[in-house]
Amino acid sequence: MDSSWKLTEAQLREWLNGLLESNKMIAPVEEDGVLLFRPIASEDQAVIKPSGKTRWSPKEFLFPRSEALYRYAFKGSTVLIEDPSTPEKPQILFGVRSCDASGIVRLDEIFLSGIRDRLYGARRENTTVVSTACAAADPECFCTAVGYSPVGEEGSDVQLVPLGEDWMVRALTDKGKDLVGDTSDGWSKATAKDGKRIPELEKEVAGQIERSPVNREWSKVLEEGFEHGAWDRLAQHCLGCSVCAYVCPSCSCFDMNHEGNAWCGEQCRSWDACTFPLFTHHASGHNPRETKQERYRQRVLHKFAFKEEDDEPFRCVGCGRCVALCPAGLDIVNTVSAAVEAIQEEGADAAR
Amino acid sequence: MTEGNVSVAQNESGTVPDGWQPHIVALVCNWCSYAGADMAGTTRLEYPANVRMVRFPCTGRMSPLMILRAFEQGADGVLVSGCHPGDCHYVQGNLVARRRFTIFRSLMDFIGIDLKRLHFAWVSAAEGHKWAKVVSEVTAAVQEAGPLPGFEYPDGWGGIDLPEMAGSGPQELDQGELDAIRTNLRKAASEVLTTGRAGVVIGYGAGSLPDQTIPVLITETADCETLEWGRGCCNNLSTYIGLALEKHERVAVVAKTCDLGAISGLIREGQLRREQLLVIGVQCPGVHDGSELAAKCRACSGDPHPICDFVVTVDSVHESCQDPLDAALDTPNARDEQIAHLETLPHGERWKYWQRQFSRCLRCYACRAVCPMCYCSSCISEKHRPQWVSTAIDNPGNSTWNIIRAVHLAGRCSGCDECARVCPADIRLDLINRKLALEIEKQYGKVGLDPEEKSALVDFRMEDSEEFIL
Amino acid sequence: MPLAEAAPNPYQPSLVRIHDFSDETADVRTLRLRFVDDNEAGEFAGWEPGQFGQFTVFGAGESVFALANAPWRPNGDQASTPTIECTFRRVGKVTSALRAMSKGQVIGFRGPYGNHFPVDAWKGKDLVFIGGGIGMAALRSAMLDVINRKEEYGEVVILNGARSVADMVYTDEMPRWREVDGVQVVCTVDPGGETDDWKGEVGLLPNVFEGLGLDPDGRIVIACGPPIMLHYLFLSLGKVGYSPDQVVTTLENKMKCGIGHCGRCYVGPFSVCRDGPVVTWAELNELPKDY
Repeated sequence: MDSSWKLTEAQLREWLNGLLESNKMIAPVEEDGVLLFRPIASEDQAVIKPSGKTRWSPKEFLFPRSEALYRYAFKGSTVLIEDPSTPEKPQILFGVRSCDASGIVRLDEIFLSGIRDRLYGARRENTTVVSTACAAADPECFCTAVGYSPVGEEGSDVQLVPLGEDWMVRALTDKGKDLVGDTSDGWSKATAKDGKRIPELEKEVAGQIERSPVNREWSKVLEEGFEHGAWDRLAQHCLGCSVCAYVCPSCSCFDMNHEGNAWCGEQCRSWDACTFPLFTHHASGHNPRETKQERYRQRVLHKFAFKEEDDEPFRCVGCGRCVALCPAGLDIVNTVSAAVEAIQEEGADAAR
Repeated sequence: MTEGNVSVAQNESGTVPDGWQPHIVALVCNWCSYAGADMAGTTRLEYPANVRMVRFPCTGRMSPLMILRAFEQGADGVLVSGCHPGDCHYVQGNLVARRRFTIFRSLMDFIGIDLKRLHFAWVSAAEGHKWAKVVSEVTAAVQEAGPLPGFEYPDGWGGIDLPEMAGSGPQELDQGELDAIRTNLRKAASEVLTTGRAGVVIGYGAGSLPDQTIPVLITETADCETLEWGRGCCNNLSTYIGLALEKHERVAVVAKTCDLGAISGLIREGQLRREQLLVIGVQCPGVHDGSELAAKCRACSGDPHPICDFVVTVDSVHESCQDPLDAALDTPNARDEQIAHLETLPHGERWKYWQRQFSRCLRCYACRAVCPMCYCSSCISEKHRPQWVSTAIDNPGNSTWNIIRAVHLAGRCSGCDECARVCPADIRLDLINRKLALEIEKQYGKVGLDPEEKSALVDFRMEDSEEFIL
Repeated sequence: MPLAEAAPNPYQPSLVRIHDFSDETADVRTLRLRFVDDNEAGEFAGWEPGQFGQFTVFGAGESVFALANAPWRPNGDQASTPTIECTFRRVGKVTSALRAMSKGQVIGFRGPYGNHFPVDAWKGKDLVFIGGGIGMAALRSAMLDVINRKEEYGEVVILNGARSVADMVYTDEMPRWREVDGVQVVCTVDPGGETDDWKGEVGLLPNVFEGLGLDPDGRIVIACGPPIMLHYLFLSLGKVGYSPDQVVTTLENKMKCGIGHCGRCYVGPFSVCRDGPVVTWAELNELPKDY
């Protein structure tokens, strides 16, 4: 098969090691009991497994938790503005699960559309994504229920497919082919039989996911039932933190604040979330989303409805982290089904 | 935070460059120490010029947040100075501050800040000479300590192993026994609702993942059948009492013994009245944090506390109401060994440990959201005039946030560990809170479940210890 | 794909100097701003009425204000310097800091952003501008654009409503508007907001508007004000026979990036900064009540 090879674990590690020489490598590492993406200095730090997600998505390597959009300094009667330097060293996100790779594409749709975000764009161009297809689902996973796949190729330049003890490496884009480069000369080609493993894996993992699929028609139902009383009780126990938004691969909302002192400072962009009370709070005191139920409704509808084009995928990629990590045990898919059921049974306008 | 105006004091090999001078910030009270410093000036006393003063009305106004901000902004050392106890211009500001500084200092030590960097003094308006002497001593001490280690991820650091926590937790309860407790719990809840003793029962319902539960607010008797009980009953339901009181005059809440401290705290601080509550205490098998028994459970018997209104066990549900004067809560803490271990390590190692922890902080504020005692309608982190806690989600801002939250909870935190459980980054917030609780116990004694007792940091005694104060 | 490094940083503001200002009320001020850099002034492409800018008070942050003066359109006239006006109320951190600034001081500007009022499509029609309080600022650019070439438009009625006489904005300018042939200016204050020598109307905007008895046929209503005022005004408009397509408004929502990325200003799928802020009542009816 073209651009597909079969590697042993040792060969994978060797490749990883080689890549470290001229690339910034970011891979899952185990730190104080948490699996998360960090820059690595040696290949043995990287945890590359057939299944298992990191605690949160690798989006922070394209969309940092905070960064300077520009710097300023007061000088006499004027202000000097400095553009932050754009990253130079290419980076490789290695070991990204399929859901997280899809999440990256959802972020691209925000930051690279319309007026292009220069900092994100530069980082994105300098990034190669090596994803790992999944051989098993975590208890909270539900990618197949929302139109995504454990073997999805979206967002990946190279895809690693687990084949028992070995790996299949597939270069999916030109960037991917460049990354593989001459190293593949020493690798054996993958066979058609190896390739068949991909749909098999998809079926196996889908079978582990016990959620019923979220119907695409439900987007309209949710929108029509915007004022329905169900929203009040479904999010009653939400605590108003932002764990869900911050661990999510596709959440991208941010805040901008001047952080500085009497001499200089920066326009600091930092992660923000629609679940916080102050997110939509006007200085006048007016808040379109006064209650946390209204804020939670916004989150659900942003992920499962409010599409700009009908054929868009759900913004939720089904990684399930929000379900596993919510301090109050809120389950976004259950919320969607419960809301749809209530709206369909009682009518869109049923009072609270 | 811009690097522009903060001098980067260490050269590449990590040694202190020649001629390095420490930046020291002094927080001084207007009436005594500022005047004392002024006197030092008018009497032409010579002393090092490394100190920048910030003038406050009183030491009582000085939040540890301001000390943290000074370090965050690049100060190598901080000096806090005010009136002598008994001489405070506002009568007792410095007496309240003294307790605050005592515990904050011990926390900074724990986090890895060499105490050569943090000093407290009483300098009166007449003590110009003392001011000069204090500043000289402080400057020398900070010079010795060297430049403040960076608030940054410790690249290449191998980490430390904390000792395993001892204790096997409450006695084993098999599924049959858990089911029996659950039946009794549902009975108690039904009775409460049917007899109208409360309008709502806050309990645990089934979650969507295995063993997971979610907080539920039950108003219909029939729904009591959905109440669950087991190792997944983690949430401290007292967080929801305020919400329930918005719609109901009396609220019943299912409580594990570890949840009770928060209930007492809320009553103590006037957030609710005892008469508004019906506490249903339940025999607990110990809850899980992930797949393991939670640290807080290891030394606990799991028995429901007699201070509850209802006590639910395997065998029965009966009413109880112990006199709150007997409301002792004597649970040894499995974390103390880990804290002791950290305290054997040099400051540099401690600093790296905590900086690595804080590097993972996302500022999701789940810790705050889940904490029953974090009920402020507007949190210090949300204040923006001025912006006290940096919005930048980086090590300096994260360090300040986590430390100041712990300080705001000092003396009030009930040790329910919910903050540590919900932190998506597994930051050991429980160690920070427990360290403060230990220091408070050591200095000012223990506060039990009696809401009439004052919590340590809103109280003071003339004879409170101050050996560290210059 | 073009090299991202070559692209401009959309968040970097241009420097503008406070050339002049006038105080409309105790807490509302109109600033007149000029570019600090002559090249930027020369390259400025102007704006269309209804668009907004992000104004930066360095050290305090950014705030969104409507571009309030008649739209500056580059006309190749080298002597003409672009001036940007914005009217703002002191209400929070940034606006308080801005209010404390003086002539000659420098702030930042980025924009114009958003869509604009279809002033060309309005040619030949009768127009009513209804502004509640500082809502007038969002309408002023369109109003002045129309008044400046009044002969291209039909009847123009301007209804300026405020809580009280002291809160009325653009008091000094209104006589000039009245001077233009075919322009009628009606001022109203809320009941209780009048002074002894008040010569204008007293009443809530929707009631005063109904009292004008204007024929809805072919007329366009352009309204801006607090959500509650718009709510009652729209009910009123519907009652007297305006169809939702005849009514245009401009939405206000908390904004940060201004370019459709930060997620803050969304009303359903509609990003106020990117897809708005100008929107018809008909379009608003398609959106969830989330503003």
